[in-house]
Amino acid sequence: MTRPGFVLEVDERTPPLLVHEGEGFRLQRFPLGTRVVYPPDPLPGIRDVRSAIEEALLHPHDSEPLPDLLRPGMRLTIAFDDISLPLPPMRRPDIRQRVIEAVLRMAAGRGVEDVKLIVANSLHRRMTPKEIERAVGERVFRSFFPRDLANHDAEDPSNVVEVGRTEKGEVVEINRRAAESDLLVYVNINLVAMDGGHKSVPVGLASYRSLRHHHNVETMLHSRSYMDPRPEASAIHASCARMGRVLRDAGLRIFTIETTLNNETFPKEFGFLNKREWEWSLADQAMFLAAKRANDAAPARVRREVFRRIEAPYGITGINAGDIDAVHARTLETLHRQQLVEVQGQSDVLVVGLPYICPYNVNSIMNPILVHCLGLGYFFNLYRGKPLVRPGGAMILFHPVPWEFHQVHHPSYVDFFEEVLAETTDPSTIQSKYEERYATDPWYVHLYRTSYAYHGVHPFYMWYWGAHALDHLGDVIFVGGDPRTCNRMGFRTASTLRDALEMASDRVGRSPRITYLHCPPLALAEVR
Amino acid sequence: MGSLLDDLRELARGFRWGRRPLVPRSAEAHAEPREPGQFPTAWARTPVARAAREAILALGLRPLVWNETAPRVFGLDNLEGLEGPVLFVSNHTSHLDATLILTTLPRRWRERTATGAAADYFFDTWWKSIATALVYNAFPIDRSGRGRGTASARQMLADGWSLIVFPEGTRSPDGWVQRFRTGAARLAIEHRVPVVPIAIRGAFAAMPRGRSWPRPGRLPISVRYGEPILPREGDDHRALTQRMYQAVASLFDEDRSTWWEAQVRAARGDTPSLSGPAGPRWIRVWEAYRPLPRRGPRPTWGRR
Repeated sequence: MTRPGFVLEVDERTPPLLVHEGEGFRLQRFPLGTRVVYPPDPLPGIRDVRSAIEEALLHPHDSEPLPDLLRPGMRLTIAFDDISLPLPPMRRPDIRQRVIEAVLRMAAGRGVEDVKLIVANSLHRRMTPKEIERAVGERVFRSFFPRDLANHDAEDPSNVVEVGRTEKGEVVEINRRAAESDLLVYVNINLVAMDGGHKSVPVGLASYRSLRHHHNVETMLHSRSYMDPRPEASAIHASCARMGRVLRDAGLRIFTIETTLNNETFPKEFGFLNKREWEWSLADQAMFLAAKRANDAAPARVRREVFRRIEAPYGITGINAGDIDAVHARTLETLHRQQLVEVQGQSDVLVVGLPYICPYNVNSIMNPILVHCLGLGYFFNLYRGKPLVRPGGAMILFHPVPWEFHQVHHPSYVDFFEEVLAETTDPSTIQSKYEERYATDPWYVHLYRTSYAYHGVHPFYMWYWGAHALDHLGDVIFVGGDPRTCNRMGFRTASTLRDALEMASDRVGRSPRITYLHCPPLALAEVR
Repeated sequence: MGSLLDDLRELARGFRWGRRPLVPRSAEAHAEPREPGQFPTAWARTPVARAAREAILALGLRPLVWNETAPRVFGLDNLEGLEGPVLFVSNHTSHLDATLILTTLPRRWRERTATGAAADYFFDTWWKSIATALVYNAFPIDRSGRGRGTASARQMLADGWSLIVFPEGTRSPDGWVQRFRTGAARLAIEHRVPVVPIAIRGAFAAMPRGRSWPRPGRLPISVRYGEPILPREGDDHRALTQRMYQAVASLFDEDRSTWWEAQVRAARGDTPSLSGPAGPRWIRVWEAYRPLPRRGPRPTWGRR
């Protein structure tokens, strides 16, 4: 029986707790009484994944079995989540490969010949051939790449088509091949509650014209949180659901396959990162010490390379196929079983340790804007109900926030950081004044289409992702952060947690209630 | 980056190196069940370890205990003619108990006797595990109720080792005898081995729970061995446990009065209870904490 998540209250028996800080980690002592949110232990993974996939495809929810939807002469398109999922990348075989192979086996058996595979990378950077091969496996890659297996190109006018508009006037423009297929199979990895459902197709295969309707400050401010995809809680999910209905009404048949993973986030060499500290054996402590010393002493490039090579030994906890709504409800149920932790009440201070990876720096560099997105976007939003921290409270984040950018992957980020943030950090001002220009800049469009660059508008979205947190919080302090980058983003820095608490005391007093969100592995706080 | 020494110091402090690991209170309900102690103890029964143990007990522990307390031993004649292995079954009030038994047993018995020790207490850190195994020839007993807590004991008996067992499972919190668990009786029945009851009086007063060194004053302790109990045909573990408990109670009675009086009361079924006086716990602790009366003439030059 898997142990559920729980909230620890730090007492004199509590050992120092592990805190991630970018490409490193530390043991940190917390003040007595600090609440620490621990996720549930990993759920057992499905033993026979192959059979589970077959079972899901043959007995889908609210849909005919997949073979019944396949016929000779049809146009079949398989879209799948891009490199932003899962985090860290999972140990091979990737679940996408296993699902896609199963779908293709059935398609071949039913005489389907016109098959295309599309990476649903939206405005993310294109995946390299090597990355695609890693996701879909050698067999699929060699069979289809590059003619019938490609990245989605949101800036190719001939590649996207407007399917319709929602009742609120939102343009629904997605990949033409997908829109004009007889059947679109979407293969998803649902790492967090934000993913999946109607967010898969109307976002993953969309264009800027379509995305701008929900990837904006107004929507983000009304997505509380976007890890709670109920339409009444999350405006972005409500918008995606409206778009999904437009697609359905336009006659697009989507057969979605959603998969969930357990919490086995780190391989056994880093097993201590998966454990609760008071359960660390002497071997875990030795491993921690060796890993930390080696990591601290290693040159930055070596360090990054080591982290980059981490592959998560995730177990598959659920495979559901069929109609989007029916499937996603089950997906969320499994996901919540793995991640949900009940927390009583908000606190004055929320402490998080930001790891080395976020969805947008796989095989890349976590630049300051991505740090902002990971901390004030994803981590702050890891709640249902109410934020973990009260309005006007402080958030303390551990990360070095280096002034460092990947010149190929994040060219527009560099300019956003140098030009936009130098003038203002206010999301609304940034949106109204700069977004359009960056989104339509021909050079960024060119790099997005032909190189491996994130779209020109992407850094804006990253900034908007933190809009709710910026609106909610009274203070943001980075422990160990580079003062230059943090100041540019409007944040303060401290050398130690004690200093950070001292700095925050103006807002939260001398005896604040503190909550430390112990992630990763991921936890989703249900705040009562 | 701090020095390696700083990191080691922080780990040692934070993770209680050399001490029993503690679970934060709020995490106790979520603690992962720990596997019973699997510390290997076979090395403690090698000739070298046996020689070292004999030296430690005879030259170290016995002089130390005899210097700090005043033990008196009775009833060792009950072991005459007895062949091992046997189960030595005693009440348990103090960390002195195992030492007292091992240092009072005749050598031929001592060198073939092992002690069952709580895995969660004596085998929770490496240094405690080594020390316990070496000095007491101890093997871990799982008290959690999961798995087979007495598996190692069975093996030891099968190998011909006599065992010291405290059927209460833990030291008495108030100095009086708690309910006997049935594991010892099951072992005796299963292996058809005699049970030698032992009553230790005064150890609670000399070194109760919470103390790591005997109280000053060289307090008297009585260690009284009783007649071996042989499991009878048809004895079940409950009946044998009851007989063991009765035998220890009778030894207590004998120690307080005389052998004959104890015999008479036992025959009448009037052996005084071992559970202590009725009433709140503090009264029982108070009574148990009263040192035994000294026997014989007072020393001319009293200690402290």
